[in-house]
Amino acid sequence: MKDSLLAVARALAFVVLALALCGVIFEFAGYSAPEMFQSIADGAFLNPGAWEGSLRWAMPLFITATGVIISFRSGYFNVGAQGQFYIGAIATTFVVDFLNGYPAALVVPLCFIAGVAGGAVWALWPGLLRVRSGADEVITTLMGNFIAGLILIYVTGGVLKDPSGTGQVMASRPVAAAYRISSEVGLSPTIVGAAVVVGVLMWVLVNRTAFGVLAGLAGRNSTMVVWQGARMSRLGIAGFVLGGALAGLAGTIEVLGPNGRLVSGFLPAHGFTAILIALVAGLSISGAAIVSVFFGGLASASLYLPVLAGLPAAAIDIINAAIALFITARAAPGLGWLTARRRMIRGA
Amino acid sequence: MEEFVIATLRYGTPLVYVTMAGVLAQRAGVWNLGLEGLMIIGCCAAVLGLVQTGSLLFGLVLAVALCVLASALLWFVVERLRANPIIAGLGLTGLGLGGTDLAVQAIYGSQATVNAPYGLPRLGPYFGDFGVLSVLVAAMPFVVFGLWALLRRTRFGLQLSASGEHPFAARSVGVSPARMRLIALCLGGVLCALGGAELALGSLTIFAYGMTAGRGFMAFSAVIFGAGHPIGSAAAALFFAIVGAIGIRAQLAFGDRVPNDLLLALPYLATVLGIWISARFRGGAKAASSFGELRDY
Repeated sequence: MKDSLLAVARALAFVVLALALCGVIFEFAGYSAPEMFQSIADGAFLNPGAWEGSLRWAMPLFITATGVIISFRSGYFNVGAQGQFYIGAIATTFVVDFLNGYPAALVVPLCFIAGVAGGAVWALWPGLLRVRSGADEVITTLMGNFIAGLILIYVTGGVLKDPSGTGQVMASRPVAAAYRISSEVGLSPTIVGAAVVVGVLMWVLVNRTAFGVLAGLAGRNSTMVVWQGARMSRLGIAGFVLGGALAGLAGTIEVLGPNGRLVSGFLPAHGFTAILIALVAGLSISGAAIVSVFFGGLASASLYLPVLAGLPAAAIDIINAAIALFITARAAPGLGWLTARRRMIRGA
Repeated sequence: MEEFVIATLRYGTPLVYVTMAGVLAQRAGVWNLGLEGLMIIGCCAAVLGLVQTGSLLFGLVLAVALCVLASALLWFVVERLRANPIIAGLGLTGLGLGGTDLAVQAIYGSQATVNAPYGLPRLGPYFGDFGVLSVLVAAMPFVVFGLWALLRRTRFGLQLSASGEHPFAARSVGVSPARMRLIALCLGGVLCALGGAELALGSLTIFAYGMTAGRGFMAFSAVIFGAGHPIGSAAAALFFAIVGAIGIRAQLAFGDRVPNDLLLALPYLATVLGIWISARFRGGAKAASSFGELRDY
């Protein structure tokens, strides 16, 4: 308990440091930093109804983040959540587009299966390249993100294009009302239920099963796991596929839920934010549930800023990036007592 | 054919400069995934400096200064705060992309691109068809061979390589690996600034949000593909450039018959292929198992 409290204090200290850096950048660019932070806080949590928006963004982010946690815990840096999210969303849209007219009880479950499978496939190939050949997964998954982004542009401008759409935004046909799992508010029982089920299942998997324990060890000491008789390659592939499947599930939820259609280049920061949530939470599922709300608030504020406060949404990207820059720090000059847990991610 | 060579050099030159920055960092033992962010800072600072003051020199100096500053920040975070270089590098990349977006919006409002009045000096008619290329293209081979000579033929270069390969050995002869990493990252910052300036002002004269489009990550892959050797990595970067140029040619040749968006994915696919091939030949698993953490011993 004391350990985890220290870990939280440490994470908070570095988040504050990151926000200070952001303040400097805002002032340097000619914005008032206090005003910027005030507007962000308003948009995320303080304005009436802001909480609803934050929770709407937190749900899919939490689901993707649990996938990232599983991948990172099993010892691999799968940073391809964005691509896996896109492929899941694309697969879902294909199903909903081609089965249009069939009963919802058939189409909606198939959509979920397609999204999960799509995300899993997009994580499987970097996983195989990593485990079979040792090809660095950081680069292959990053390249996978770019390729998935181009596939998204291709399908929204081609096969899945909405013929009645304007030329400015390429998007698929809107999902028929019968198949939608939520309105634009995005807090329907289905979505909240999915997030809760995923959270509970993943918590059990990580903390109460042999797989979770072995995967957690694999991320820190692979030699020991091999000596225990487990197969690193199996754990690794399972971690990749599960991570991809969960990112794909988030893609399905976005398409059938609040988005209601597949839009070219939608939510470009989703995967990166999910990785941040996983790291800020110290790769703990229960921690990620809380941290998701914070980052969901930031995501919600990035829509609020340009429209209502007249400030650029890039401010949110900068805050996320600055947190990424500092969050894995293990030492702080003069803050030695905060680094009780020396290595959050396995060291050399 | 000449057109194809020109297209390859246009695509490849910024990539080679940034790849050299990656080689320096890799040699010193830092996995620099911030290259993408440094490159976009270089693009943006060069164009904004030029547009705001009308002086190309000021633009270049601003680009170099900001890239070196950002590199030093990355060094502080990974060396002094012991952050994970991969995540910190991705953070720096995000900071570069977001920061340049913010800077453009702060100065020009919601405008997406900034046009510069003119670009880098060209080689001129003396070089025939190649005269349209910028002077940085001609300087590229000298930079690559210069870096090779620095790393393999000088005491400083060997000390720098030792700091990455065997920090304990470096320390035992009185070399500070931490300082070597700072120097390597800052020199890399200069190269990233030049690469960014070449991308924005070499053949185009424009800054657009996200114009680096993953080139920094490609450069990082070229470093891995080329095993951290300056000439091998530069060759890998040019290979990616050839694939990119083939994609551009194919768009012109086939028009609407092949999907353009999928042709744009060719360099990314080539990068995956390159990483896979180099891992198969060298057993790359060892390199990544440390998650890119800095080595002290």
